[in-house]
Amino acid sequence: MLDNKAQIRTIEAFLAISVMFSALALTLQMPSTPDFEKQRQLKKLGTQILMQLDFNGTLGKLIEDANWTSLRANLDLFLPSGILYNLTVYDENLQRVNTQEVCNSNQQGVAAVVVQYLCVIQSADTHFYTIQLRLAWLE
Amino acid sequence: MPASSIDTFLACSIMITLVLAAMVNTSNNLRPSMNEILHTSDAERFQQLALYLLLNKGTPVNWGSLRDVVPSNLGLADSSSSLPYQLNIDKVTRLNSQNIYSLSYSQLWQSFGVSDVSFKVDVKTLFNLSTTLVSTTSEVNETTYQFDVYAEKFGAPVLARLSSYVVVQDYVNNLVSSTSADGHTSISASVPNSKNGTAILLTFAKAESNPQIEAFNVYPFSHNSSEPLPNRTFTRQSPLNHVLNVTFTYPSVEVLRTFVLTYKCNFSLIEKSRNAQTAEYDIPRLLDSSPMMLVITGFNQSSTFAEWVSYPQVPVEIGAEFEELDTGAKAVSFSHIVGINSALYEIVTTWGGPTQDA
Repeated sequence: MLDNKAQIRTIEAFLAISVMFSALALTLQMPSTPDFEKQRQLKKLGTQILMQLDFNGTLGKLIEDANWTSLRANLDLFLPSGILYNLTVYDENLQRVNTQEVCNSNQQGVAAVVVQYLCVIQSADTHFYTIQLRLAWLE
Repeated sequence: MPASSIDTFLACSIMITLVLAAMVNTSNNLRPSMNEILHTSDAERFQQLALYLLLNKGTPVNWGSLRDVVPSNLGLADSSSSLPYQLNIDKVTRLNSQNIYSLSYSQLWQSFGVSDVSFKVDVKTLFNLSTTLVSTTSEVNETTYQFDVYAEKFGAPVLARLSSYVVVQDYVNNLVSSTSADGHTSISASVPNSKNGTAILLTFAKAESNPQIEAFNVYPFSHNSSEPLPNRTFTRQSPLNHVLNVTFTYPSVEVLRTFVLTYKCNFSLIEKSRNAQTAEYDIPRLLDSSPMMLVITGFNQSSTFAEWVSYPQVPVEIGAEFEELDTGAKAVSFSHIVGINSALYEIVTTWGGPTQDA
């Protein structure tokens, strides 16, 4: 009778230990907190760059001319080193406008911030474009 | 000892060990979040201070062009522009310690008026140009110099249109070219042998993708003379409020020509006033977005010189050395793209001070 009780308690103890260690292992694998401060900075930088490009109409002209190579070259010159970007332009009907990728790297698996910017082009008829700029720190 | 007591003792030990391990682990996991909460207010405050410096005009609003005025409130924005992030050419120029009207970091810090924060300001072009002399070919009447010019940013080539000037004494020649896909281009400059002394190859580059993005480079070389002496050996040039002030290092210096060169054009400067130690020249207000290079050629006894300064006087680097700060302080950098006279530059402001938890 006593032997049976001891065996059950030993099994209980092993079960408890395995449950607790599983819990510990799970917490260890919890993703670390993202650096919100850096992401906020990135978002502000992205907005400021798009604004600066838009001040004299360069941004609108590059979109209207579908000059995606120049748009990419501008972003390469404006952004500090170590920043990944991917820019997508949508028209009024939220259809993607850029036929070429405007990016410097694949951002898959990287925590990115998204900057949305509305670009208005005043010509004979006004055009609206929504620009989505995804930015991430190179890790 | 009964088996149940051993069981209880073992179970308690395991439980205590696990609880302690869980506490340590939780603390480690929460530390970034705690730090985030503590430092967010610092970073947010520094970001607001950076924006204030760039978007505020300062007091008086035209302090940049008033050579003897120390602003009571520091701000670099251009008072004549309605657009944000447009900096005043003279306010930026007065950050350069090579200018005789420059403000010291101590004056800037006092004018900014935030006593618990140190800062540093870097203004530079958005890409870099470098020049190398590749070969020299001497003929009877002229000597031909072959240069390699390289345009790059972070080691990546930049496609750019170049406008170069070769200047020696009163001789100026403009050469136009473009960089190829590898960022390099070759420039061939012929200089008449009737001239001699320090010559310079001054190159402006406009990015193909955006003509507002410009860089420049000056390469001094000797033409039928000994090795050129460093810039500012004979004169100290300080542009401000569209007037070039020249201080002569030696009373025997004689000025031959004074030029203003931009991407598109070059003019001779008109002398405004002159005495034994100084001279002043009017700098024209040009519509060209290009930065201006002001070049003086002249003689000092047997030496012939060519010296230069850019207007706006960039690159600028002024402020606290954050590498020397103690570990209790935190430094944060912010990069912004700014316009100065329609050309675009990068300004990096670094901010630091004791953290709120320090």
